[in-house]
Amino acid sequence: MSRLLVAGLILFPFIGLVLAFPARFDWDEAIGNTVVYVIVLGFVNVWLGIGTAWWLMFTDSKWKTPVEWFTFLPLFIPVLASMFGMYIALAPLGLVGTHIGVGLVLLVTTLPYSIRLAYNAMYVIGRPLLEQTLTLAPWSRFGLVLFPLLKETIRTIVLFSTVIVLSQFVLVQLMGAGLIPTVTTQIYQAYAGNDVSLALQNTWVLILVPVLLYVGLGGLFGIWIRLVKGRLQ
Amino acid sequence: MSRSSLWLSLFVLALPFTGVAFLIHETVGFDWSELNDAAWRASLTVTLYVTIVSTVISLVIGTWLARSVYRRRSTWLASLLRWPMFVPHVAAAYLFYVLFSGGFPFYGLVEANERHHLVVILTYVWKEVPFVFLMVIGTYAQLNRGYVDMAKTLQLTPFEQFKVAEWPFLVKPLLDSFWVLVAFISFAYEVPALLGVTFPELLGVLAYERLTTGLFLNAYESYAVALIWTLFIFIGVIGSYAVTAKRRRRIERGVRR
Repeated sequence: MSRLLVAGLILFPFIGLVLAFPARFDWDEAIGNTVVYVIVLGFVNVWLGIGTAWWLMFTDSKWKTPVEWFTFLPLFIPVLASMFGMYIALAPLGLVGTHIGVGLVLLVTTLPYSIRLAYNAMYVIGRPLLEQTLTLAPWSRFGLVLFPLLKETIRTIVLFSTVIVLSQFVLVQLMGAGLIPTVTTQIYQAYAGNDVSLALQNTWVLILVPVLLYVGLGGLFGIWIRLVKGRLQ
Repeated sequence: MSRSSLWLSLFVLALPFTGVAFLIHETVGFDWSELNDAAWRASLTVTLYVTIVSTVISLVIGTWLARSVYRRRSTWLASLLRWPMFVPHVAAAYLFYVLFSGGFPFYGLVEANERHHLVVILTYVWKEVPFVFLMVIGTYAQLNRGYVDMAKTLQLTPFEQFKVAEWPFLVKPLLDSFWVLVAFISFAYEVPALLGVTFPELLGVLAYERLTTGLFLNAYESYAVALIWTLFIFIGVIGSYAVTAKRRRRIERGVRR
């Protein structure tokens, strides 16, 4: 009974999704932009997150603690507040209203989480096991050992970065100067204009993108693991 | 490869600090008395209320759920808690808006867009509990059960068992979670803009609106508030970490394997 109650409390907001289905589903520029940002930022977060965590794991540098703090502290700066400052800083460089500017501020928001997730996963795996891979060439090291060991972490990094990217309205609106539509920026216009169908369509997209990406990556990673295991036989 | 990734990461993560430096530069010469108007004062009060209530409830429920999973090995609960993590904040806000804005059974009891911000708090709690759970469950996974067994052997009450065998190890993840949530909730736009009211508005909503309306004429007010709020959180982070530093170091040395 208590299980049912807890499950009900966790799942009840999803009722909102099925209360009304969107009347139509149109692929537009906003969905295209959103998908591209999610894929590119997921890839960059995995690359920089794992690379930086690897350095933190193995370095004997006296800079390790300051770098650790430097990568952790942005989590304590309110996103919107630092965004105002970044807007002033990046505007003279001509990055406002461009995809690079928007991508950069979205990366700033997601990267601290990715580094922390990768570092925690490597810490749990342990330095001795990871050290065994140092004799391998970089691509073999990553493809045959690190990737299979870190596949769940990579999925989590992609999930986190995707959900955070999809949550950002002000960042995209301000840095994109209103010229770069995404599903999130559209949802506020749809809400303000009482276009319930478009708002619902966008809500469905916002939830389906992370789910499909997570499930899809799980399938792809599973195929790769089977291929790697095949090499052992 | 790791060195080039490191340099790129450092470059990217220097941007928020650069942003804060630019905020300081922009607010030199700003007349701070401009912030002493009713809208900002009301906004500060409601922001503190929403932030503290949402954060504390999320921390308590998240820790309690992690403890349940640790003690009862409830894997079903751990999998169920993944579900809200797939939902972006803005989508969560819209789901709660659909549920609480009319027609559905909750209508009248708890309503969206009302001045107590109950639905805003509910949305944040729903979204942040899994985050706290993730932060705390790692600590529970590494917790030496010997401490709990010892506390039981000494016939301590359940509260005392938690206090001596679990709480000291939870200080660090809970402190991290507390400040991440405070920084996130207190100066956000997306959720309160959809579920809040026009007066009093939360700081993030009011700052963004003052920034973007009227051809950026009130931009300096928003910059000043963003700067003060960032410094306020920074002082809180540094103060709380300094106060707990000795205790945390002792615990970290004790559990290192």
